[in-house]
Amino acid sequence: MSEAIVASQAPGTDLASVPGASGARQFWRRLRTQRAALVAAGVVALLVLLALAAPLLTAIEGQDPTTYHPSLIDSARGGVPVGSFGGVSGDHWLGVEPQTGRDLFARLVYGARVSLGVALGATVVQVLVGVVVGVAAALGNRWIDQLLSRITDIFVAMPLMIMSLALLAIVPSSFPRPLLVAFVIGLIAWGNTAKIVRAQTLTLKGLDYVSAARLSGWNTWRIARRELLPGLAAPVITYAALLVPMNISAEAALSFLGVGVKPPTPSWGQMLTAANVWYQAAPQYLLLPAGALLVTVLALTVLGDGVRTALDPRAASRLRVGTGRKREAKADADSKKATADADSKKATADASAKMAATEADSKKATADASAKKEAEA
Amino acid sequence: MRQPSVIARRVAAASVTLVVAAGAAACGPKDNDAKGAGGDSKPQKGGTLTVLNANPQEDFDPARLYTSGGGNVPSLVFRTLTTRNRESGAAGAKVVPDLATDTGRPSENATVWTYTLKKGLKYEDGTPITSADIKYGIERSFAAELSGGAPYLRDWLIGGADYQGPYKDKKGLASIETPDDLTIVFHLNKPEGEFPYLATQTQFTPVPKAKDKGTKYEEHPISSGPYKVVKNENDGERLTLERNTYWSAATDAERKAYPDKIDVRSGLDSSVINQRLSASQAADAAAVTTDTNLGPAELAKVTGDKALAARVGTGHFGYTNYIAFNPKVKPFDDPKVRQAIAYAVDRSSVINAAGGSSLAEAATTYLPNQKSFGYTPYDHFPAGASGNPAKAKELLKEAGHPNGITVTLTHSNDKDFETSPEIATALQDALKKAGITVKLQGLEVNDYKDKIHSVKSEPGFFLAHWGADWPSGGPFLAPIFDGRQIVKDGANFNTGFLDDKSVNGEIDAINKLTNLDEAAQRWGALDKKIGEQALTVPLFHPVYKRLYGSAVKNIVISDWTGVLDISQVAVK
Repeated sequence: MSEAIVASQAPGTDLASVPGASGARQFWRRLRTQRAALVAAGVVALLVLLALAAPLLTAIEGQDPTTYHPSLIDSARGGVPVGSFGGVSGDHWLGVEPQTGRDLFARLVYGARVSLGVALGATVVQVLVGVVVGVAAALGNRWIDQLLSRITDIFVAMPLMIMSLALLAIVPSSFPRPLLVAFVIGLIAWGNTAKIVRAQTLTLKGLDYVSAARLSGWNTWRIARRELLPGLAAPVITYAALLVPMNISAEAALSFLGVGVKPPTPSWGQMLTAANVWYQAAPQYLLLPAGALLVTVLALTVLGDGVRTALDPRAASRLRVGTGRKREAKADADSKKATADADSKKATADASAKMAATEADSKKATADASAKKEAEA
Repeated sequence: MRQPSVIARRVAAASVTLVVAAGAAACGPKDNDAKGAGGDSKPQKGGTLTVLNANPQEDFDPARLYTSGGGNVPSLVFRTLTTRNRESGAAGAKVVPDLATDTGRPSENATVWTYTLKKGLKYEDGTPITSADIKYGIERSFAAELSGGAPYLRDWLIGGADYQGPYKDKKGLASIETPDDLTIVFHLNKPEGEFPYLATQTQFTPVPKAKDKGTKYEEHPISSGPYKVVKNENDGERLTLERNTYWSAATDAERKAYPDKIDVRSGLDSSVINQRLSASQAADAAAVTTDTNLGPAELAKVTGDKALAARVGTGHFGYTNYIAFNPKVKPFDDPKVRQAIAYAVDRSSVINAAGGSSLAEAATTYLPNQKSFGYTPYDHFPAGASGNPAKAKELLKEAGHPNGITVTLTHSNDKDFETSPEIATALQDALKKAGITVKLQGLEVNDYKDKIHSVKSEPGFFLAHWGADWPSGGPFLAPIFDGRQIVKDGANFNTGFLDDKSVNGEIDAINKLTNLDEAAQRWGALDKKIGEQALTVPLFHPVYKRLYGSAVKNIVISDWTGVLDISQVAVK
């Protein structure tokens, strides 16, 4: 996703408005120097591939996520899987679920579709709403700005979990559940994106090239599209990359609480709920979804962090492992001449990006904490 | 006729559910074990028994309790006219005298019941127990502020429907007579041969009028049993019971009362309770639980450990989990469709979802599989252990659905392994094989209860359960299948809207019988007959398994309650 946006920015017609036509190339160069981010990107790519290929993979295994296998569980002992490691065999690669005998590998890869799909869907909604509201507030008159900013404040103040619980409980169960969960998370938690976009837009608005565009008679829409949006790409991508793992945790938590996707559709959060009493009798049942969740959230967070570093190296945390600061400094020095032209603009843009990054940092801490909590549960 | 008692009945249903919800219901081999753990020595008096519970004893007023057979902890403090027989297995489903000398003498076609109290009965303060106190105890259960008990007294006693309780109506209930201090006579508005069962409930406990403090009475209820309440903290979260020195074992053949002190600690998580009971350290060695069953995962762990497995008590409570149909909703108006579903059901996968074969037994009858209920085996639509999809398809074809049907199954989102999503998904998987596509409609638990018990909003196809107020066919069949009990604007339990003259007539005829064994047989035969209509598909009867501490002896588990009887337990 980030690739697409960054790429679209490369052939920018107005050279002065973008932090250099070499922005995308520079971004890739900086990202490549970070080993942790590359590994994380590989893990994320693998997970996406697993999710997309779920029907194929389960077909190869010869299983599906909903068929019951009563012969594979010991009914008299509460339905614990027969055999070692939770019934791992050539037919059931990761064993079977206690009490039903459903194939755990199939449920895990189908569950990845829900977890990743809902998280990405929610992020798209958050970014769309956030950018529209943020830009509109920054470009509108005083009243529009006041109104939109207060609405944004209200949404920032809303506790995501409690609001989602309420919303998901009242919507009729006939509505497609994964779509609904994505919309609910997306439509509640867009406030911070809007705030960042508004602040960034206000900064860009005051710059000479935007004034020049306005003086030459461009209308607001055209200015927003041609002059402002390319400048917003960096902070928005950074923030979106950090929103994805947060949304994965949110979906898992909602499913864990029983208001996410409905059975028999598998999801990681739901597997955790069912598994949490089995941690002693069938530990792998709990460890599989918990591990999947941990790896996914960790990989996405590290990748998001890498993206942020690549877009704005000065905001990168000095404590992060594998940020490749030395090599990156070298890469930076090489490309100095490319960025020289945008020096004055960059300083101001950096200031606001730094603001965004600080906010993103605190968000990430919560995301990490909740991911850890999921794993412990 | 049940309108006035709708709320009480719902509370009842809820309290029955609570008992089960504390752990997953489960069942197992029918060998009820009454084994004493912790050595071979005979049970001795003394020591402190600890009770580890999930739910606090919030109500300790005899008027407000909804119990089966007098309850567990309450039965230590409250003696009643009759009580359940404190023996293991089927013998424990009998009703026996408690304060009275016998289980009641019926006359005039079982509409008048007379009881005589034993001599020398005393309260914890040494004052004598009189029949007037029992009358007063029953009367106060009619007061609106002390509601919560079973609806039967209101339905059965002459004038009961309009009586407002002794605080508003000083004259009292004329249908309860106390000609002398030891005699009490009840006048009913219709024959009720099962009145002795009703007299086990805590509403039949004596309450001295002079000590009654209304809603505050529960802070210190006056004991007639072997223990008195010494401390009640945080609304029943922590209770301390000590010996009532005026109680005499000579007048009480049922309660053994071995421990000197009972320490009830509640508000604990069910997994914590089972963890503490399995560790059985320090005071927990002398601990039991009266509300927490072993769940499937805990059972898997316990059965792997021989020493631990020896400390599991197994019991059967009269309870049935089933599929219910609303025959007013298409396509369930067609008996063939209902029968097809009955054939397609895979009971083994449902039982696995409910916790496995140790925690649930397959049910093909609506009545629980116990003698006291008049259990008469039948299987009108034999599905075998894992369903007969071919026969189901055939029936659907006959009903005009050669390409199968799509139906919605309503269930609760409770985590009770009874009406919960696990059971619904197991059924969904089984019915798929018969060409029946099941869509699941999971409702929040209160919403679910409101919907299935309302004539207007009752879904066509849903999961349901029913538990016994006492171990007999009456409270099991009458509320569900008596056509005169269909409640149009309130909580309705006749969910199949059966209003069959012959069924109603047979219910009346059985209620006249005072020979409870004969009545049981007739209930069983009636159940078999109603079963032909396929208004329900019985799924399973739960089996209760509970851990107890390593020092606990004299385990008695009756078929009446299905759980360890706290009045029999010894810790020395």
